[in-house]
Amino acid sequence: MKLGFVFREIGQSLSRNVSMIVSIVLVTFLSLTFVGTAGLLQAQIGQMKTYWYDRAQVAVYLCTDTSPSDACPQGEASADVKATVDAALKAATLQPFVEKFYFEDHQAAYDKFQEQFKGNAVAKYVTPQQLNETFWVKVKDPEKSAVIVESFTGVAGVEEVRDQRSYLDQIFSILNAASIAAVGIAAIMLASAVLLISTTIRLSAFSRRREIGIMRLVGASNFYIQLPFILEGVVAATIGSLLASGAVVAIVQFFVQGYLATRLPLTSFVGLDDALLLTPLLLVAGIGLAALASGVAIRRYLKI
Amino acid sequence: MISISNVTKHHKGATRPAVDGVSFEIERGDFVFLVGASGSGKSTLLRLMLREEIASKGDIFVLGQNLVTVPSRKVPVLRRKMGVVFQDFRLLPNKTVFQNVAFSLEVIGKSSAFISEAVPEVLALVGLGEKAERYPNELSGGEQQRVALARAIVNKPDLLLADEPTGNLDPATSADIVALLEKINQAGTTIVMATHDVGIVDRLKRRVIELRQGVIVRDDKKSGYETALPNTDQIEMPAASEEQK
Repeated sequence: MKLGFVFREIGQSLSRNVSMIVSIVLVTFLSLTFVGTAGLLQAQIGQMKTYWYDRAQVAVYLCTDTSPSDACPQGEASADVKATVDAALKAATLQPFVEKFYFEDHQAAYDKFQEQFKGNAVAKYVTPQQLNETFWVKVKDPEKSAVIVESFTGVAGVEEVRDQRSYLDQIFSILNAASIAAVGIAAIMLASAVLLISTTIRLSAFSRRREIGIMRLVGASNFYIQLPFILEGVVAATIGSLLASGAVVAIVQFFVQGYLATRLPLTSFVGLDDALLLTPLLLVAGIGLAALASGVAIRRYLKI
Repeated sequence: MISISNVTKHHKGATRPAVDGVSFEIERGDFVFLVGASGSGKSTLLRLMLREEIASKGDIFVLGQNLVTVPSRKVPVLRRKMGVVFQDFRLLPNKTVFQNVAFSLEVIGKSSAFISEAVPEVLALVGLGEKAERYPNELSGGEQQRVALARAIVNKPDLLLADEPTGNLDPATSADIVALLEKINQAGTTIVMATHDVGIVDRLKRRVIELRQGVIVRDDKKSGYETALPNTDQIEMPAASEEQK
């Protein structure tokens, strides 16, 4: 096997099909960037889940005078109600699920509100009495928070029981849908990349049919005849995957870390390590697809 | 060297087989002419010996392998021991004479040291030592066929198949090519040559196998082109056209 010869053949073939090669590079670049973005989104979801699920609590909101009357016919929750809830949380039946809980009265809720909405006009108009007194329950296993929700929903004097995870799940399902959409677009583009590669090989096999004919007659092995064609597709796809890897790293570096992370300092975002973990996968996917497409095309158009 | 027994080749859609129950043997070092009208099956027979096509029936032993049953992956190695030349030369127009010959060695993985020794040697043998750096379109037809011959024999094949190698050449040039073929044959290479060239066949007095409609009608040692047999083609043709009516 003379590698010099193979590389010279590839070089000639690449220069003959520049426009097709460029289109393969672009299509694999874009499609793998979409794949990479989907991967980043999934990593982001995973990261947010572990971060927020850990901090998510179940809130048992008690009635206030301003609560809607269908949930709270008696108005402001009485001391009895507070004692009942407190007792239930300490009782043996719920003990296995509750890690800890604390009670937040009107004033504490008001202080928290004032801090959260500092400078916002709404802070001026809220009074402590309008804000719910709340039992904040930290559950041991976030998956079993439903037990707490069910135990207190409908209890007299309790306005609402809210698992904070339900807010998070909405965000996650949006992110999830975005990543599925990215994967879908990527799949279509990868399919077109495969078709493009096989068309390119068909074209370059046609433009080299004289050489191929002679190679067959003088007894060149199939491997030797096919290798330049396979490598041609693989080289183009490798360039595309490298560009896609660069794009994924750049997205994390400049958009996520450089822009999002500075705007939303409280949220933890995917970092460069996640992006670098994705790059070998993108390379393998790109090269593998190209080799596959080339192999199929050669079997069809390069009959030995 | 070559042993062909009861070989039949049906082409798809053809009414009669291109080669029909053909048997013959060719010894090492032989020089054999295949003669017959166009469509008599000469080229098909050569393609079968090259395993460009696979026989529908029968056995074809070439260089110790049965070409009907040999797996495809073994074909390239077998073809390295064969050379082929065609009527239309089949040179690569974008390569020089030297590169055309070298190409056939490069693609079977020969070292550049071997190539730089073997190619000038074979070009000298075919009388093109001076024209190694020319391109095919700068050469005459005879010279182009010499390049094709050089390419066919540069790897020292045991068998050389020639499909009407003089078909595009004038008589004098044809004689040069045939002289070259004789030289190659004397060096030990078996040659099977399909031809229409009466003069060549008559002059060389070699073994002649004549085909008619895919069947061997004559296999004579040291014979000429002209046949004593009646021309059955012309007798059969009216009968065939009557059948169509």
